[in-house]
This record gives sequence, structure tokens and C-alpha cells, in this order.
Amino acid sequence: MGGTDIQIAICGSAGDGTIACGDILNQAMADAGYRVIAFDVYPPEIRGFGECMARSRISDRAVHSMKESSDVLVSLNDAHAIAHVPEVHDYGAVIYDDAPVTRLHEGQHISGHIKPGQIPYGLPARQIAEQATGAAKARNMAALGFLAGLYAMPREAFERTIRRKFATKAAAVIDDNLAAFAAGYERGAATFKLDLVAFAPPAAAASGSRPVILSGNAAVVRGLLDARLETLFGYPITPATPILEMLAAALPKHGGRFLQVEDEIAAAAATLGAGFAGARAATATSGPGFALMTEMIGLGVMAEIPGVIIVSQRGGPSTGLPTKTEQADLDIAVHGGAGDAPRIVIAPTNVEGCYRCAGKAFELAETFQVPVIVLLDLYLSNRLETALLPETSPFAQGAGKRFSPADRSGPYRRYALSEDGLSPRAIPGQIGGIHTITGLEHNELGRPSDKPEIHQAMSAKRHRKLAAAVDFPDLRITERLGDDGPVDVGVLAWGSTAGEAREAVERARAEGIRAAVLKVVMLAPLPLAAIEAFLADAREALVCELNYEGQFANLVTAATARRLDRLDAVPGVPMAVGRIVEAIRRLAGREAPRAA
Amino acid sequence: MAAKHYVIIGNGVAGNAAAAVIRERDAGGRITIVSLGALLFYDRYRLPEVIEGQTDWRRFLVHPPAYYEDSRIVVRRRCRVAQVDPARHLLTLGHREEMTYDALLVASGGRGHLPMALSEFAPLLERFDSYRQAMAVAAALGADGGVVMLGGDIQGIAVARKLAAAGHRVTLVPSDHLFWPHRVAFEAYPRYLAALGQMGIEVVEGGAVERIEATGEVGRRVVMEDGRTYDGKVVMPYYGLAPALDFMAGSGVDTERGLLVNPELRTTDESIWAAGDVCQIWSAEENAYRFYYGWTNVKAMGETAAGNMTGGGETFHTFLDERLAVTEAGALHSSFWDYER
Repeated sequence: MGGTDIQIAICGSAGDGTIACGDILNQAMADAGYRVIAFDVYPPEIRGFGECMARSRISDRAVHSMKESSDVLVSLNDAHAIAHVPEVHDYGAVIYDDAPVTRLHEGQHISGHIKPGQIPYGLPARQIAEQATGAAKARNMAALGFLAGLYAMPREAFERTIRRKFATKAAAVIDDNLAAFAAGYERGAATFKLDLVAFAPPAAAASGSRPVILSGNAAVVRGLLDARLETLFGYPITPATPILEMLAAALPKHGGRFLQVEDEIAAAAATLGAGFAGARAATATSGPGFALMTEMIGLGVMAEIPGVIIVSQRGGPSTGLPTKTEQADLDIAVHGGAGDAPRIVIAPTNVEGCYRCAGKAFELAETFQVPVIVLLDLYLSNRLETALLPETSPFAQGAGKRFSPADRSGPYRRYALSEDGLSPRAIPGQIGGIHTITGLEHNELGRPSDKPEIHQAMSAKRHRKLAAAVDFPDLRITERLGDDGPVDVGVLAWGSTAGEAREAVERARAEGIRAAVLKVVMLAPLPLAAIEAFLADAREALVCELNYEGQFANLVTAATARRLDRLDAVPGVPMAVGRIVEAIRRLAGREAPRAA
Repeated sequence: MAAKHYVIIGNGVAGNAAAAVIRERDAGGRITIVSLGALLFYDRYRLPEVIEGQTDWRRFLVHPPAYYEDSRIVVRRRCRVAQVDPARHLLTLGHREEMTYDALLVASGGRGHLPMALSEFAPLLERFDSYRQAMAVAAALGADGGVVMLGGDIQGIAVARKLAAAGHRVTLVPSDHLFWPHRVAFEAYPRYLAALGQMGIEVVEGGAVERIEATGEVGRRVVMEDGRTYDGKVVMPYYGLAPALDFMAGSGVDTERGLLVNPELRTTDESIWAAGDVCQIWSAEENAYRFYYGWTNVKAMGETAAGNMTGGGETFHTFLDERLAVTEAGALHSSFWDYER
């Protein structure tokens, strides 16, 4: 296939400016009209330790995952980058600093590790930065400039991005970064290019739309704001902190408020409190914080209070792997807490989905009067991706059955046992809407009751009312991609891994295997009809997910009794597309095609 | 016992021939080739194909990348050797990495010699020794650009005939280096010059070059001291070769113009050998050190040196009858164009 589909990896140590380089690359290439998907890996320490890796896949068409191998590796720190040299494929490039300041023993320089099929490019990045700015600090910009110049990337787009990125810094910071970038660019442009990496001009954007590049977290923020979030409560935790930071800055401009509370229990409680009061309220957290919220989720379920909880999963249990991705909080999201506590759990599969799910979560929460958990993972939270977002908000306001005094006959029955399980919700202050709310089991009026028939009826109500969630309009609860009709292998995927699964299915289909993928966005309640229909078409079924226990596969198996093949892994990074392809081949009884 | 580390400076015919022999003779040894260039060993004699539009350098590779992995030969590309310290068996690379060796082969070849008087015009000159240079020449020439060749050593004439055959106008301004390294009798010159004409190379009167200019439309202009001018898209100097051994300065290993080696190709340091255009080999017959050129000789030198580095005791003897001739078709032929066999 022709066109542009290039992955660039920039590797350094914390403090080298690796992530900043990747960010500028992503923003600039998106600005120039390319589709970008990017994901950074960094250590939990703030500076001076550990490996940072910024990977960017730049394409002229929509892409759904990171590639397994990179076309170009830029080393800002050989000690870390050497291990990543093998991920560059033959005739790809390795760019490195060939003028280090200290003497090196044999093997400490990356040039000794470059494979025969790879093309080396050395540049004196430190010297270039020093000559351009008087200091070596901007050597990352010199390296980035070299990269951009070597591949004739659009210089103006980079310069605009650098100005934007450092807009809040002193003018000298912007000037130094621009100067180092320019010096590197000229060096790169003058370098004789031998590798086979080439950027074709991007396709023109569809008329009336302009793709934007943003992270999953930023998309969540946009979705929440477009849904007119009024109050956000939270306590910082990786990888959800950026959501809090962005909304802390943005909410006041939209008439809302952010309150940092003492812990996640308070955050969840305050969210429910605001929801009870009729406000659109949310909180954002990660696994350890979410574990603390489960009691409040139970209260929300019992008291039927809307609220939105954004959970970005990271490696666990406990503090676990704060900067590594995982999908292991599905169980706690679906089942966590005391008692039978049905709630809605939705998991976007890409950045655009983050926007849509975050915004739609309020409609779901209000319609079904229940906490809604939007389940991201670190990979989705942090990755940058080109997305098409609507110019006007698509999210409805004031969803769900609301109490109206005019409809009242007799005392207000907040928890009326209706056919669909949904009962009109009053907000404090509404005339005639006085009622009791409690975490205790209650009758239709809300008054505590431990009568068995009440508990039975109310339990049924709380479950029954969610049945309609799987048909909620304007939200892709599931999406099937790939071959229609019967297939050799059907892949079930959720969350960020759906992107890898989609690419794997496309690759398998290119090998002649009939395959399809079902992206499942709503995880509770489970859209069983769609899943069963998909499984009925699949001779073999595979579930791939980033957790050790196969949590989603367990859910589906329990609901369908279908034997599923499982691909579970906890590498801390996105699942390799190749592993899924291998599993598909195995299930289809095919061998890998021979290399040309 | 630790594997012996063989380091070869130079990624050309001699270096790669040596690496292959070392691998045959020492299966467990470490072999590292240090190369200034970015590409694996390629056939530079095929570079004129670039003029014909064959621009994919992968066509020119002598071995595919897998050969080096399979043979466990590490090729350190874009690496400049800054210094050799024989006492410590240590190389220092340009990026300050230190590399130890047990046996070192210097096969760094020669680079085009440029007379001092022309050195200030170096940025305006092109050669055809590497893929990059070939691409630059092809780009500058376009479909029908002319070439002014200065000097006219036998390597230059090899390039000139290919350019002429491809339809480019080639003007040769000869110097004392005409036909170098062949030693041509005075009376033979007219026949050989006629042969050049037969090959489409216009040979003009020699003389001293005053300056070289960049001109807008024409490209380059060579201005002779007597006022003659010759225009071309590119100007290519071919004044013979100079051994590339700057990094040996201060090493204590004996050099004259090249590294001095005995017939076993060992230098005056017992752990260092040399092969190819970089070395002068002792000739008992001539009672002098002398260079041997040509693909066959260079390859044999690499193999001989490698054999001796791995414990052999072979001596080098030339395989080449140095001869300049005119073919039946009237074209010039040099025995140094032996790579065409």
C-alpha cells in the first residue's frame, strides 16, 4: 500500500526533553494535515531516572494502533535507546548524537548496535545546540530539527508548534528552541538521505471538518465541557491528573468549578452530592483511587443518583505500575462494591470515543439515574490521536425522567416501581419533591425498609432499569468491523486494545483469513444480543485484553457459555498487533506468510 | 579463552575480503569493520548505473544485510577512526568510543588526490567514488550535461568513458597524472589519446588551471592560465590517489606515503596489518616499497592479510600485469579495470 505510514520513536532519559520532542512532532504533523497516533512511555520518577520513549505514527489515513516496529529511532540517550534499536526495521533509520562529551567504552555508543540493514545518521546535537543558543539544553530541539530536515517535514508547522508550546515561557526560551531547531533542520536537510522513509503530502481534509490532535484525557475534558459539566471533584493520581489539571483551568471559564478534595472517597461523595442537587458532576481517578470510591458507587446505585466517574486504568494491584497501561480494573468497575450494585460502564476505544463517551455519560447517568463509569486506560489517556470532533456539542441536556408537581397524585414516590424501572427524579428545592434518600434499602418513598419483598422488588428495579441502556441512541455500544457474515475468527475487544485488534484483523484479512472484530464499548450492562450475534458468526472466537485474568472474557463466558480463546497479557504497554495476528492465524489454521 | 577481536578499518574490497577469510579461519572470533560510510559494502564499479537512472543503492550491495548477521560481522558505519594506539591495542573513534583489538587490519583505501592549487575550489568539484557522489553528479548533469575532467588518471578515465557512453559531453584537461598509475612511454601517448577520442572523450591541451567558477546556467567553468575556458555541469578532478591514513599519525607505525608493510602485509607493529590502496609493500625485486592497485590485487591483499592475522604465513604477490592497451575496436583498456571481468 502506498502513501505515508511512518512510525518515529524518540528515546531518552527523563529530563532530556524526549516527551516534548514527541509532542512537537505530533502537533506539527497533525497541523500539516497528517493523521497521527502517538503514545509516550515514561518512568514514574520526575527527572533524572529511567527511560522515556515517545512514539508517533504518522499516516495519511486513519490508523488505530501503534506499529510494532518503527521506521526511525532518534536517540537522545544511548543507554536507553540501544535496547530499542532492534525495533527499527531494515532500511529504517537510527539518528543519534555522534559527539558525546565523555569517553565511552566499546559498546556504549549506539552506533555499535545498529543492525546491518538499518541506516545510521550521526549528528553533533549538543554542539549544534551550543552553537545556535550558547547552551546544550536545546539539543533535543537540534535532534528534532535534524529529523524534520532529513525528511523534509513542513518546517513552518514545527516552528508554529514550538511557539505555541513555549508560549507561556520567556521569549528567550522560544528563541533558543527555534534556533536549535533551525540549526538541526538545516543540518538534516543537507544530509544525504539513504533510508527508505519518505513522507508523501497528506490528503486534503474533508470539507467542513478539520481534524484535531489531542490526547484521550484532553478528549474527555472536551466531552465533559461540551456536555456542560458544572462541577468536578478530584484528587490527583496518574494517569488521570491531566484531566483534573485541564478542567481546573477550563471550568471557571465555562461557569463551572473544580474542587480538589482530600481523597477519592470525598471526590466520589461530592460528585454524588452535586448530582443529587441536579448538577452535572464528575470525578476522575485511577485504579487505587477508584477502589476507594466503590462504597460511594454503591450509594449512588442505591439512591439512584447520577454521576460520572472517569477511571483511567494503570498497572495494578495497589500502587502497581503508575506509568504503565493495563485493563485490569474491569472487574471492579463492573462489580466493585457491596451488594448487587448494577451500574453503567462504558469504555471508549479511541480518542474520539473518549470525547463521545465522556459527554454521553451524563445522558446515561441522568436517564438511568445511576453512576456511570467511563473506563479509560493509560494508553488511551495519554496517547495523542487525530480526531474529528463536532463543531457544536452533540450532547443533550437534562436527560431522563424528571419530577413534575403537575404529575403528582399523592405523595412523591421517588422510587416508584415503574415498568421500565425508571422513576421521576426530583432535585432538592422542587416544590412537592421532598423525599428521603438513604443508602439503606428503601420503599418507593425512599423510606428505609428491610422487608424481603421490598428488597426483592427494588433490586429488580435497579437491574431492570438498565436493560434499555444497551439501546441508548447516538452511542456506538458495539461496532463490528471486518468481514460480514460467517468468519473463521471473530475477535472481541474493548478499550484501547480494540485498536490493535482492528489492525490485526485487517492484517489477517489481507492474508486471506475471514475475520472480524467486535468493539464492545458498553461493558455493563453487557450488550448480549450483539455479542451473541457476533459469536454465532464466528467459527472461533478470541478475546484480547491487557489483564492477567481475562476479565472481559470471563464476563462474556459467564453470560454466553461460549468457549473463548483468550489472549491476555500485562506487558505495561499496548498489546502487540503481531501477537493478535498470530493468534488469529492459529485459530484459522493458517501459517504466517513467507517474507518476500 | 576470550574470543580474539579482529578490527578492520575500511569497508571496501580488501576489508570485506579479509572479514570473510577471518570468519572461515576463526569461527569464534569477533570481527568488526569500521567504516566512514553509511552503507554496507557496495560495488562502486557499478555506480555509473546511477547515470542510467538506477538510483536504488540496494542494487549495488555486494552482500545483503543478512550476510553480516549470519557471519557475525559487525559493521560500524559512519564511524571515523580518530587515533590508533598500538601499545594499548586501542582504537579511539571520532565519537570518543574506545575499542580494543587483538589484530588490526588497516584497509582504509585511498582518496582522490587534489593538487594544492585546486584545494580552494574543492566545493565546486565532484568525484564519482561513492554512491552519494554519483547521485550528486547524476543530479547535476541531468539528461545532457557536460563534464570537464581534470587530470585524467585511469580511474577517472573509467568514469569518463561511462559518462560519454551515456551521452554526456566529456572534456578531459590532462595533467601529469594522465593514465596514472600506468607509466606510459612518451611515444605511446598519441595512440592512447586517439583511443580516448574513439571513446567519445574530447582531450584538450593540458596546462595549469587558474580557477574554477560557478556559473549560473552553465554550472561550472574551468579557466586555464592561458585564458582558455571549459564549461560543464560538473568538474571532476582525477589526479591519482592518496592513502587515507590520517588516524595513524602518532601511532609509531612506519609510513612513507602509505603504511609500510612486509610481503606478509604486516606493518612495523606486529598486531597491525594493512591491505589495499593504503599500503606500500616491500618489493625485494625493486628494492623499494610500492603500491599495487586494481580490484584483484586489493582483494588478494585483504585475503592474504586475513590469513596471516589468523596464523598463516602467506606472502602477497601481484596477480595483475599492469598494462594499458588499445582494443581492436580502438578503445582504451586498462588492466586496472579488472573488476569488469
